[in-house]
Amino acid sequence: MSAPSEANVRSLPLQNRHVAAGARFGTFGNWNVPLYYTGILEEHKAVRTHAGLFDISHMGEFFFKGSGAARFLNELLPRDIENQKLGRAFYMPLLREDGGIIDDIIVYRFTADEFLMIVNAGNIEKDFTWIKPRVPVGVALTNASEELGLLALQGPASEEIAAKIFPEVKLKEAAYYGFLLWKNGMIARTGYTGEHGFEIMAPHQELAKVWDDILDIGAQHAVPRKVISCGFGARDTLRLEAGMPLYGHDMNDEITPLEAGLEWAVDLKKKSFVGREALGMQMQSGLKKKLVGFEMIERGIPRQGQVILKNGKKAGEVTSGSFAPTLERNIGLGYVAAELAVPGEELEVVIREKLLRAKIVKLPFYKRKS
Amino acid sequence: MNFPKELRYTKSHEWARREGNKIVVGISDYAQREISDVVFVELPKRDQSAQQAKPVAVVESVKAAFDIYAPVSGKVVKINTQLESDPALVNQDCYGRGWFYEMEMSDTREWEALMTAEQYEQTIKQGIN
Repeated sequence: MSAPSEANVRSLPLQNRHVAAGARFGTFGNWNVPLYYTGILEEHKAVRTHAGLFDISHMGEFFFKGSGAARFLNELLPRDIENQKLGRAFYMPLLREDGGIIDDIIVYRFTADEFLMIVNAGNIEKDFTWIKPRVPVGVALTNASEELGLLALQGPASEEIAAKIFPEVKLKEAAYYGFLLWKNGMIARTGYTGEHGFEIMAPHQELAKVWDDILDIGAQHAVPRKVISCGFGARDTLRLEAGMPLYGHDMNDEITPLEAGLEWAVDLKKKSFVGREALGMQMQSGLKKKLVGFEMIERGIPRQGQVILKNGKKAGEVTSGSFAPTLERNIGLGYVAAELAVPGEELEVVIREKLLRAKIVKLPFYKRKS
Repeated sequence: MNFPKELRYTKSHEWARREGNKIVVGISDYAQREISDVVFVELPKRDQSAQQAKPVAVVESVKAAFDIYAPVSGKVVKINTQLESDPALVNQDCYGRGWFYEMEMSDTREWEALMTAEQYEQTIKQGIN
């Protein structure tokens, strides 16, 4: 991604709070976001051991309303939307006809005829432009990204903290990927960290109170129940350890969900959806490349764009890489030739002109205990 | 921020402590704060020759890698291998146990031309404003 020109850089609705908290900022797409407040390692650990709060209001929100909404989304999307239960959320890719991933999204069913789609910030315009002309008469599509914000409370203590902040909401009733309506938004049991947690959607003007309340309640407790604000740095290391791909890095328009390891998020039992035919053909012809997780055997941190070799010949490329704070190992995601995509397979990563040994491991790198 | 007076500094934020015709090299307090959590260090080899302002070592945060340059030309004579197992020393004690390497100078005039603490602090202030 090229550096955005300053005029186009957007700030989060709670920017003032992040500045006051002493955050170090960086760019993510065309957003100016907090990278960390105290430090990536400390914030990462907070989420793994107690709880952390993220401002992810850069994400986009589309609403689909109307009697034809369920049928339309079922034709557009690769999961069984018509049979999606009220109060349930589905993660999935949004696909082109050729099976390429336009975005990865979460679809929430509010009522029989009303759905919410949460999309990546960098893809709001692209997704909207793709979907809008396909919307039939009788379905209203609105882009509420400018009005709605999103906070993520993540970590083993998040349940206990959320119960205090939202006493009127029966959070226990929401299963994993379930959600409950709350005021002018909703609270979903979802996340991007590999821990238990909630994502809270609310209009921008109501967001600050939720942010303050969570940190205030969190501050009344000592570790392990204290909540700290966490930035995009820790969000990235947490999702990487949890083996979750990041759009624009580990997947893009040229990659299919079968290649990206997202076959679980497409329902090939469905007879038709946009991209169905292409995926069926790819299933038959076999994959050429596949996303794998690997860890370094020799000393070195893999980074996006580095070349992966097998016996000295190019076999793929790193798409995400970092030191993994919980595992204390250097890990990465990358695409390799399909025949090499087997746990235990040894490869080399070219880091600063040195060939360093790595081995493919099963994803996720990190799995919570309960 | 702390910039000890007895050290000399570079524009690329290394510090150097002179001991006879040798210098010990590390990164400044400003640099370690900017980089934040150091999670990886790649050291030069002993006996490796080094050219002034050329990269000889690497320091990595969670997010990115940064080159460490040689403040003067010469030869690397000692390396702090402790950083390989405990890179956080760079954050905890950047002028002490967080040193990177020691080198023999081939031309002490290069040392004389390095910035004093006062000059370095000035360039940082200018850089920030």
